[in-house]
Amino acid sequence: LEASTEAARLPVRRNTWDRVRGYIGEYGLIALLLALPVVYGIQDISEDGSLARLGNNVVDGLSNGSIWALVALGYTLVYGIIELINFAHGEVFMIGSLVSAGLFGTLGLTASTGAGGLILGLLLTLVVAMLASGSLNTMIERVAYRPLRNAPKLAPLITAIGFSFILQNVGILWIGGSPEGIPDLIDAQKELFNIGGVSIARGDVLAIAATIPLVLLLTTFISQSRLGRAMRATAQDPEAARLMGINVDTTISLTFVIGGIMAGAAGLIYALYQTTIWFLQGFQAGLIAFTAAVMGGIGNLQGAVLGGLIIGIIQQISDNRIGGEWTPAIVFVYLVLIMVFRPQGLLGEETREAG
Amino acid sequence: MLRVRWLALLSCLFAVFALTVSACGDDDDGGGGGGGGGGQTVDIYSSLPLQGASRPQTTAMVEGIKLALAQAGGKAGDYTVKYTSLDDSTAQAGTWTPEQASANARKVAQDDKAIAYIGEFNSGASAISIPILNEVPIAQVSPANTAVGLTSDEPGADAGEPEKYYPTGNRNYLRIVPKDTIQGAALASLMKSEGCGNVSILNDKEVYGAGLARNIEMSAKEIGLKVLSNEGIDPKAPNFRSQASAMKSAGTDCFVFSGITANGAVQLYKDVHAAMPDINLYGPDGVAESGFSDPKEGGIPADVQAKTKVTVATLSPDEYPPEGKKFFSDFEAKYNEPNPDPYAIYGYEAMRLVLDTCKKLGSDCSDKQAMIDALFQTKGRKSVLGTYDIDENGDTTLTDYGVYTIKDGELTFDKTIQAQGG
Repeated sequence: LEASTEAARLPVRRNTWDRVRGYIGEYGLIALLLALPVVYGIQDISEDGSLARLGNNVVDGLSNGSIWALVALGYTLVYGIIELINFAHGEVFMIGSLVSAGLFGTLGLTASTGAGGLILGLLLTLVVAMLASGSLNTMIERVAYRPLRNAPKLAPLITAIGFSFILQNVGILWIGGSPEGIPDLIDAQKELFNIGGVSIARGDVLAIAATIPLVLLLTTFISQSRLGRAMRATAQDPEAARLMGINVDTTISLTFVIGGIMAGAAGLIYALYQTTIWFLQGFQAGLIAFTAAVMGGIGNLQGAVLGGLIIGIIQQISDNRIGGEWTPAIVFVYLVLIMVFRPQGLLGEETREAG
Repeated sequence: MLRVRWLALLSCLFAVFALTVSACGDDDDGGGGGGGGGGQTVDIYSSLPLQGASRPQTTAMVEGIKLALAQAGGKAGDYTVKYTSLDDSTAQAGTWTPEQASANARKVAQDDKAIAYIGEFNSGASAISIPILNEVPIAQVSPANTAVGLTSDEPGADAGEPEKYYPTGNRNYLRIVPKDTIQGAALASLMKSEGCGNVSILNDKEVYGAGLARNIEMSAKEIGLKVLSNEGIDPKAPNFRSQASAMKSAGTDCFVFSGITANGAVQLYKDVHAAMPDINLYGPDGVAESGFSDPKEGGIPADVQAKTKVTVATLSPDEYPPEGKKFFSDFEAKYNEPNPDPYAIYGYEAMRLVLDTCKKLGSDCSDKQAMIDALFQTKGRKSVLGTYDIDENGDTTLTDYGVYTIKDGELTFDKTIQAQGG
């Protein structure tokens, strides 16, 4: 969905700093990203004689990161197509969790529900959460963004922030201001299997197993379907797409539907994985997912997934080795370094705006 | 001319609207004024987080405060007492906020008739309101704060504490709960008595949580426990699995969280229990609330409850002196609640202390400084909590801590710990 152009680049004289930056941007970042795992891997081998601890960090990071990736897709989809940071997206994800938790109660799903009933119930919950979040996201686009399509770029940014706060307050009215524990339906932290000391829990399998097909489905849809092509065309040049007979407004709405659906799925997975929901979870997750989208290259689907997974792993390594109080700082140090040496993100290209 | 009339009309409407809004916008007036007719009036305020996870505790405190006032007939000596309950939390935050704590203190600081401020519930909030009220000065009586640094520079206090809270150099703050040197020692003694050897501590980095964590660590080391770690958490982190995993790798056999429920406590205990299902989990009074203990209110599930014990400076009704026992029967008679929240009695005693001191002062009750001086001269007070003094720092001489288990989501008194200040 890259909103990129192949604009001819003017030959510019590169000074030493630019060359260093370019070199680091290409190779140094790989070293940077591998620094934590390599250092701690060596430490683990020398101290414990195995990489089990690092393996556990990576598994936890991948499962956490999968959820961030699903949320990040919503940010990157919308940015790719209309170059808007949909700040309300995190809250759409939060509403997905609240809808899911509400449905657990309505459907009578508890930890003691049988496997068959649980699977059916969760599938139904998944569909409802995706529909709820998708509809909500589309409604936000229709009410708060579409009327401002030709307004200065700050205007929809402000309405996005406004909607974010509105939805947070909906969350407060719904479940109150405190984090709320919900039934652990899948016994999320129960070890499913253990490979060489690396424990893989049910929650890890759920998060990764649910995310992979959703991401594959989305990328296939965008790359191969007619509507996906329309989305890519709109992302590249809305005016030209309109002239080619593409209904740009419908295409943009579709983008919000898809982003919302992903957020709804992430909401359910989050509820099952964390077993705690909170009206502010969307703000936190949104911040992380937006960072993931930027780190991966905003507008780039693979980049969003990659960014989500990287942040997940950094968070878990930091929580486990350095201390949870430092984790947000460490994640953003990584982001700053990546941005300085590769402003377009890990997999990003120049956007319409930048190009 | 027409324009001028419209302007005048609009101004009047605006003024009426403003008055209506300001009248409606007042915080909950506890009533209490009762007495009416003649005499002078003094104002007493409470500032507690009435929203979020602490709501059940603070609601019980306000009920205790109102019960004390009602029993006094809404009067202290010749003075009619007007009680106002303020809220230092917001729905958005789900806990106390610096802005609300500051706004409440400033509101009371501007009230000429104010003689006492009962609060705050959270030590971090008192760190904000004490200096504001100290400038007036107005007596502040906390029914719940335990952070050491609010009153003394004993171990557990941060650099610059407590002087930084008292810009005038004189004291105006006292509390009726034992400070965290006592609670830290109580938790350490409890862990030792239950066979703990390697303890891991996580704290929420607030004034209360970080301070208490230091006290627990010091007391634990003093009695021979090994403290493997004492780290802060990011309270807004989505989960704490990796920290739990790190504690497991380190060989933790007992875990204690030093912080409040609103700072991720439920998720933290769930994650620690999932990583180490067999170890004992401990918590301080910051998590002694139904938002933590009761899954119906979003608290920890039954399997985590079974491994968790919590300390609170409240005992079983049977362990209180006759005055305390009477409080529980009076509370039940007024509110039809036979098992009040552990904090109700502290709300009651805070108000009783202020009312009794005011009565003793007679006509000087409305003198703010005289009220502070008299409160600090509290000696041998026979109260519902037991007999206690207030020392020169504003601390109570009470030291008993109750240990609570959690059964079916309810905090259930287990035993008393006669902890010695560490």
